[in-house]
Amino acid sequence: MDKRERYFWDLTGHLVLRQVLSPNEIKAANEAYEWYAKKVVDMSQDPGQRPGRPRIENGVVVRTSNQFPHFLQMEKPYCEPFRNMMAHPQIVSRLIEMCGRGFRLDHGPEIISHVQGMEGGSMHGAGHPHKPWVAYHNNGGRHWVGGVTVSWQLADQPEGAGGFSCVPASHKSRFPMPKGVAWREDDLGAVHQPICEAGDVVLFMDGAQTHGTMPWQAEHQRRAVLIKYTGRTCARQGPAKQYGAPEDHWNEEVVADMTPEESAVMWGPYSNHRGEVPFLTVAEDGTVGIEEGRA
Amino acid sequence: MNYKVHEVSAEEMYFFDLRGYLVIPNVLDQAEIDACNAALDAKMDEARTFDAGRLSRDSKALGGDSSRIELTGMLGWAPALRKPFRKLLVHPFVVSRLNEFSGKGFRLDHGPLLIRAKKGAEGHRFHGAGEPFDQATSYHQQNGKIYCRGITVAWQLADCNPGDGGFAIVPGSHKTVEATPEEVRTMEDDMGLVEQVPMKAGDLLFFAETATHGAVPWAADHDRRSVLYKYASRAAARSVGKRFTPQQRYGDWTHELTPEQQAVLYGPGVHHGGRLPKLDSDGETVWIEGDN
Repeated sequence: MDKRERYFWDLTGHLVLRQVLSPNEIKAANEAYEWYAKKVVDMSQDPGQRPGRPRIENGVVVRTSNQFPHFLQMEKPYCEPFRNMMAHPQIVSRLIEMCGRGFRLDHGPEIISHVQGMEGGSMHGAGHPHKPWVAYHNNGGRHWVGGVTVSWQLADQPEGAGGFSCVPASHKSRFPMPKGVAWREDDLGAVHQPICEAGDVVLFMDGAQTHGTMPWQAEHQRRAVLIKYTGRTCARQGPAKQYGAPEDHWNEEVVADMTPEESAVMWGPYSNHRGEVPFLTVAEDGTVGIEEGRA
Repeated sequence: MNYKVHEVSAEEMYFFDLRGYLVIPNVLDQAEIDACNAALDAKMDEARTFDAGRLSRDSKALGGDSSRIELTGMLGWAPALRKPFRKLLVHPFVVSRLNEFSGKGFRLDHGPLLIRAKKGAEGHRFHGAGEPFDQATSYHQQNGKIYCRGITVAWQLADCNPGDGGFAIVPGSHKTVEATPEEVRTMEDDMGLVEQVPMKAGDLLFFAETATHGAVPWAADHDRRSVLYKYASRAAARSVGKRFTPQQRYGDWTHELTPEQQAVLYGPGVHHGGRLPKLDSDGETVWIEGDN
C-alpha cells in the first residue's frame, strides 16, 4: 500500500484496485457463479434452505447470504476462484495496513447479482453513531479499521449503472446523517458511485463509511463478490454469531446453572446485529434484570 | 461523590473520562468480603506463584524478593465456592457503570483472577497506553458518550493504604498519543505521574485497560488481595473462546485450504498462545510470518 493509496483511503474511506483479476480469472469466477445459480434455481426446497441462502427473483439469483462460507465449500473447480480471493496478495498487502496484522475473514463471501431495474438500498454506516467494532482510527501515522469489505467486481459498473455507492469521508463524520442522504432523496451531492470494470476490487470501511446500493440500471447483471474482514480483536457475524451463545463460547462448568442475568454477560464477541444478546438493566433498588424485549 | 447503585453520575463520567479509572467505596459489606476470602482460601492450593523478576523485569524500582500469586477459575468452582464470585459478575454497581463505559451488551472477556501478594513482592511493569493504539482495548469519547472497549473491574478484598503498593496508574494516559517513556514504564523516573490508588477492602475499582497501569511492590504486612474481572464491549475480543481454529469454526473441509487461506479463518482474539499464523505479503505473493 503506497503513500497515494494511504492518503486516498484515509481521506475517503474506500479504495479501488484496478485489474486485480485477469480475464481468465474473471471468466472462471463467473462460470462458477453461473453453475451455482443454475443449481440452486433448479432446487425444490425453500430458497432459505438452499446452499448459500439465495434470494431468487423471477428465476434469477440476485443475492446470496453473507452468513455462510458456501462459495468456499463448493466442489472443485467451482470453489477455486473464491478461495483464490480470500488471501489474494493484493488484498493481504492492503489489509495488513488497513486492519493490522492478524486481520481475519469475519463473514462471507456473498454475491450480489442484481438485474436491470432492481431497487437500491438505503445508505448506512457512518462515523456517527460510533460503532467501535467497525470504527476508523488514525494516530501516529498509522490507521486502523474495524471492518473492511472487499468487493470483487465480476462485471463492469460503468458511470450511471448504479450498484455500490458511498459518501466519501463519512467515516470521520460526527453528526447524524440527514434522512435525505440516507434515502438519497436529497443527498447533498455527497453520494459517489465508483466506476469499476470487471476485475477491479473495491475496498471500503464497512460500517464506518456511509455506503449503500443504487438501483441497477445497466442491461447486464451486476456481479460483485463481497468478503467481509475485520481487525484481529473485532467480531461481527458469521461463526462469531453462530457460536456466540454462552455455552458455545465457554467451558461447560463456567456457565453451568447461571441465572439469566449472569449468562447475559457470558456471550461471545459479535456485533449483535439482530439484537439477540440480552441487555442488563439496574433498577433504583439495585435489582439487576434483563431489558424488556431482550430475554 | 454521591454514588447511586443504578446510575452513573455526571461527576463519575467526568472523573473516568479524565483519569481512566474510578473507585466506588464500600460496595461490599464485611460478610461479602469474608465469603470471597473464605472461598479463595479453600482453593488456594491451586494457586500459582510467579518467579521474582517475571513482572518487574529489569526495573530496580519495581523489584522484589517474591512475585505475585494468581488463582483463577472461580465461576466454575463448586456451587458454594463460586456463589460469591458469580454475584460480583453482575453486581448492580458493575452493570450500571459498564452500561455507560462500555455500552449495553458488554461481556466478560476473561477472568476472574485473584492477584495476591505478600510483603516484599515485586511490582508489575507498567503497560498499556493510548499510543501505540490498541484496537482491542481502545478508549474513545464522542458526542458525550464513552466507548471503552476493554475495562477491568477489580474488587478489593484487602486494604491498600497509601504506601502499601499494589495497583497504580498514570491518570489520563488512556488518551495519550505520544510514546510512554521507558522510565515511566519501569517507574525508575516516573516524572511524578504514577499514582498508587488507595482503597479499602470492599471498594470497587474500574480502570480502562488502555490506561498505563501496573503495580508498585507490596510493602504492607498483610497480603494484597484483589479479584479482577476483565470485561469488553460487545464485539471486542481478547480471549479466543472455545472455537479458534478454522476447523473448530468452519469444519474439516478447511483442511483443503492452503495454510495462507486458513490463516484468515481463525477466530477473534489475541490470547491465542502463539497459535495464530500471521500473513505477510509484498503484493505479489503471500506467506506466513516466520516461514520465509
